[in-house]
Amino acid sequence: MARLEYIKKQYPRTRRVHGNWYLSSYQYKFNVKRINQCLEHLRMGELVGLKCRSCNTVSFPPRLICPKCLKMPDQWIHLRETATVATFSGTYAKESGDTEIRPYPVVAIRQDGADTTWLANLPEGFDFFKVYVGMPLKIKWAEDKKGDFSDIEYYEPIEDPSIEMNKKEEAEN
Amino acid sequence: MGVQPVIVSAGFSEHASKRSDVNMAELMNEAIEDALSKCNCTIDDIDCFINGNMPAFEGANIPELWMTDHMGAKNKPFMRVTTGGTTGGSIAIAAYYAVASGLYDTVLATAFEQQSCGSTTVGLSSVALGEVSIYLELGYDYEKLRRNMGAGAAIGVGAYQAVNYMRRSHCTEEDLARVVVQNRHNAAKNWWTHLKMPNYTIEQVLDTPYISYPLRFGMVTPASDGSCAMIYTTEENAKKFTDTPVFVNGVASVSNETAIVTSEAGGVGQIDPCVQLGAKISAKLAYEQAGISFPEKEIDYAEVYSPFPNQELMWLERLGLFEENTAHIQYREGITAPDGDLPVNCSGGVNSTNAIGASALERVAEAALQIMGKAGNQSPKEIHTAIGHGWGGALNLITLSVLADQSRRKYKGGI
Ligand SMILES: [Zn+2]
Repeated sequence: MARLEYIKKQYPRTRRVHGNWYLSSYQYKFNVKRINQCLEHLRMGELVGLKCRSCNTVSFPPRLICPKCLKMPDQWIHLRETATVATFSGTYAKESGDTEIRPYPVVAIRQDGADTTWLANLPEGFDFFKVYVGMPLKIKWAEDKKGDFSDIEYYEPIEDPSIEMNKKEEAEN
Repeated sequence: MGVQPVIVSAGFSEHASKRSDVNMAELMNEAIEDALSKCNCTIDDIDCFINGNMPAFEGANIPELWMTDHMGAKNKPFMRVTTGGTTGGSIAIAAYYAVASGLYDTVLATAFEQQSCGSTTVGLSSVALGEVSIYLELGYDYEKLRRNMGAGAAIGVGAYQAVNYMRRSHCTEEDLARVVVQNRHNAAKNWWTHLKMPNYTIEQVLDTPYISYPLRFGMVTPASDGSCAMIYTTEENAKKFTDTPVFVNGVASVSNETAIVTSEAGGVGQIDPCVQLGAKISAKLAYEQAGISFPEKEIDYAEVYSPFPNQELMWLERLGLFEENTAHIQYREGITAPDGDLPVNCSGGVNSTNAIGASALERVAEAALQIMGKAGNQSPKEIHTAIGHGWGGALNLITLSVLADQSRRKYKGGI
């Protein structure tokens, strides 16, 4: 890559003093009441979302409060194991075990049956240039389940019938 | 309706990646001096101060404790406003209400950021650490989360918006590069900006590597040090202070859901990150107050908050200036150039200069200066009505100020 040139002005330097912040000293609190039920189902290999009785919005992972109507959703419903890519990006990172910087896909997915998205993982080494919005995925469960999000090992891409349909449509036109 | 607020002046400090010659207070002082020098107003005329910046980015959470001397604010009412990326936009709105309510006659609205003082990583961590900790507690793998969040910070949200926007509008990476080139060329003609690149080309942009797909290194906003100051006053006082008053006819700030994480690891309600309902509502509210029924015809100039080029296209559509999915075509035809039909970001925009807390105030300031005819890169077009937009906060606030060279024609509703 060629160096990008821009008009730069040099400013004289004043004295500097160093300081430090210790972010690890903070403590955060969160309500586990609802998420715990979801995690219990994950341990059994089931997916459940929380439905708001007032507006029928289903959240997965469950949300404590419905942002639309400010009601407490309390109806648990079972969700399918399939999902679609809602949005994605690719990032370049050097992780432990990597010898050089590698591209990694980052996807936000929508579980079929839910009205919300969340950050999920694709199989290791999946080429993100092959990811597209609307790509169908299916859950790959972890071998031994612990009752937390790590029970979903990753989402596996599955066959997309719409690609064939689009091709057919194009050929017909 | 209360008092009609008027902008009489706006000033800036020089922006750079490292303003190593000044500290926060001195940096702030530069913008205030510049704003006062552009009108007949002195520091004694100021009745109230409103200041803000992105918390924690400099490692000083109440920087005003250090700064009042350099701002001339001793023994005067002082208010701190901070809403992350939209801090500047919220300050502009706070100043508007301080005057409109009749509480104060003349208000100095200031914002600054000196990112070279601190670490952006620590700053962002202090914003997201609560959420991240919960995800880790619930069994998310640290490495994967760090990667997801790395792409999920401001640039990631920009990247998500870009992916979905490009899918909807069929705009190409070349279109994104064209937006960047226009911004950096504009910045080169403006005295206070950071990335002045008069010879930047689309090929050079497309030659740089991806940071977060589809955004390349040459497309993204820099981290700048800089400050901005604006003077708001009443119509009566404005006659004493300046010959070129700018009337603030409508303001709005609307929140919208972020595109990455919600509280307590729940699902995110915003499925398509480029829909931006918040921007549409914000525009509706502000235009209604200003008596604007046809924004695409009535607005002559736009300063939109776009750290990433796809956002500039997206905001112009969502704020009603172009039809949906057509903004990139307007750029190809040069409509948005300084001498085009609708000049956009003649200042160079956030894409060329980003002192986070000050960025959204700088949009309002530049929009006002374009109406006054005093901007660094003045558009040759006659500008009557302009907008200054802001985006950010918890990645979800949309602020908007509608400015004009005359007071509002009609006002529906009331305060
Ligand atoms: Zn509801």
